[in-house]
Amino acid sequence: MLRISDLKVDRAGLPVIREADLVVEPGRISVLLGANGAGKTTLLEGISGIAPVTGGRIKLGTEAIETNRPTERARKGLAHVEQGRTVFRTLTTEENLRVVGNGVDFARSYALFPELEKRRQVRAGLLSGGEQQMLVIARALLARPKVIMIDEMSAGLAPIIVGRLMNAVRALADSGLSILLVEQFAALALEIGDRAYVLRKGQIVYDGACRPLIENPDLLHRLYLGGGAHA
Amino acid sequence: MNSLLTNAVAGLTAGGAYALLGVCATFTFRLVAVVNFAGAAIGASGAFAFALLVEVGTPIWGGAIAGLLFGALVGVLVGEIMTRWFAEASTSIKAAVSTALLVGVTAVGLRVTGGQRPHEFPELLSGSAFRLLGVEVTNTAIAMLGLAMLFTLLIGLFLNRSHVGLQLRALSERPAAAELIGIPVHQLSLWVWAIGGAATTLALMLIAPQRAPNFLGLSLLVVPALASALIGFFRSFWATLLGGVVIGEMESLISGFSGLGAYRTAVPFLVIIAVLLWSQRGGRWDDAR
Repeated sequence: MLRISDLKVDRAGLPVIREADLVVEPGRISVLLGANGAGKTTLLEGISGIAPVTGGRIKLGTEAIETNRPTERARKGLAHVEQGRTVFRTLTTEENLRVVGNGVDFARSYALFPELEKRRQVRAGLLSGGEQQMLVIARALLARPKVIMIDEMSAGLAPIIVGRLMNAVRALADSGLSILLVEQFAALALEIGDRAYVLRKGQIVYDGACRPLIENPDLLHRLYLGGGAHA
Repeated sequence: MNSLLTNAVAGLTAGGAYALLGVCATFTFRLVAVVNFAGAAIGASGAFAFALLVEVGTPIWGGAIAGLLFGALVGVLVGEIMTRWFAEASTSIKAAVSTALLVGVTAVGLRVTGGQRPHEFPELLSGSAFRLLGVEVTNTAIAMLGLAMLFTLLIGLFLNRSHVGLQLRALSERPAAAELIGIPVHQLSLWVWAIGGAATTLALMLIAPQRAPNFLGLSLLVVPALASALIGFFRSFWATLLGGVVIGEMESLISGFSGLGAYRTAVPFLVIIAVLLWSQRGGRWDDAR
């Protein structure tokens, strides 16, 4: 389980996230929504350690990790799939997976994304956008994380690929993984999510079930643009 | 003809040194994305540690090992500055910082080693290896070329065949992504700096007896080193190796012509200009169209 409380994160010396509280439970998908510039990516970067945390707590299981370097957080079981499909472009698909550790077992990766096995000797920079997204998720999973945070997974991908990725994410949660999913396409994410958070101007303005947001799109719009609704 | 051959053979030592220094520059750039203007100054620190230790009576090979370790340590200190405070900076900012470090390390080096007062650099490998058409080929020339080739070969094998090499290749491309999957980016970067520092020290320890052995003179060998690296476009180790040897040979051959000899140190500068012009040819062609 990932639990953050009163988290404050800066970017370029300016406060972006102000006292955010959030929980990601095992076997569940927490969806983090918000308009462009709301601070979703900065929040994830603060949790994984890329951006400086200036206050608050981050607990992975029972352990506080907010002072750890990103490498240590990753080793303790926190995976962060950044936006922009951050494959190592000059390495092959298989090298992108092997880089995680000597003797890692790719079977689970290839079972989840069979496309990757066929393309294992191809340079990652030459893969399609969908394949690159599958690769970064598979690579993150090889470290056997307890919690995985996925940022803007569907950006720039065809709807059929997005659907495929969403199903894979749901399957991962069903296998017991804790998932924090950041998405621009709110409707798709809410369909597979268990709990939703809406971030506006660096503050959580909604914390509750996904269903009310699916059934009442106006509520989501109000949350994006102004006005709160804590469930 | 014989004087040309003599100059060509003499150029092998300098060429080998430039090649090794250039390969170190390419190594640093490819893996930690720094155009390292301080590279030769780091090596000069190690080389002078060696010379000063031998001056106070340390056995030559003991002094050499201590010099290599000191060069590696200075490399790590410079690397710590680069990775701790400038890891996410642009390549141009990192280049500016490494230039500042060149000035800083050289200033400290000149102060510690007594300004431009020459020091006696002991020859690690003295004597002649063999004679080629009546010209002596020295052990130093053979060792320098051999070391440059061995280092280039080992780097290639290390990067392409080992797991740490794979992690370094990943790190060089996306340091943040590498860190997020648990690769110890900071430690690996410092190892790159340590290896670069030790290898540069070795090159300078071998070539110093044939150069004006003052700290500034050795530090400025970064110019032919970067010219060599530029020939390999800071990517190809083997092209860099070849570039270093060619620059060393050109310098040596030019020095054989009266009137031109005084301009031999301009060779790296001309190579840098030529390579930069060559690399821009695509853009010029596009503009012309």
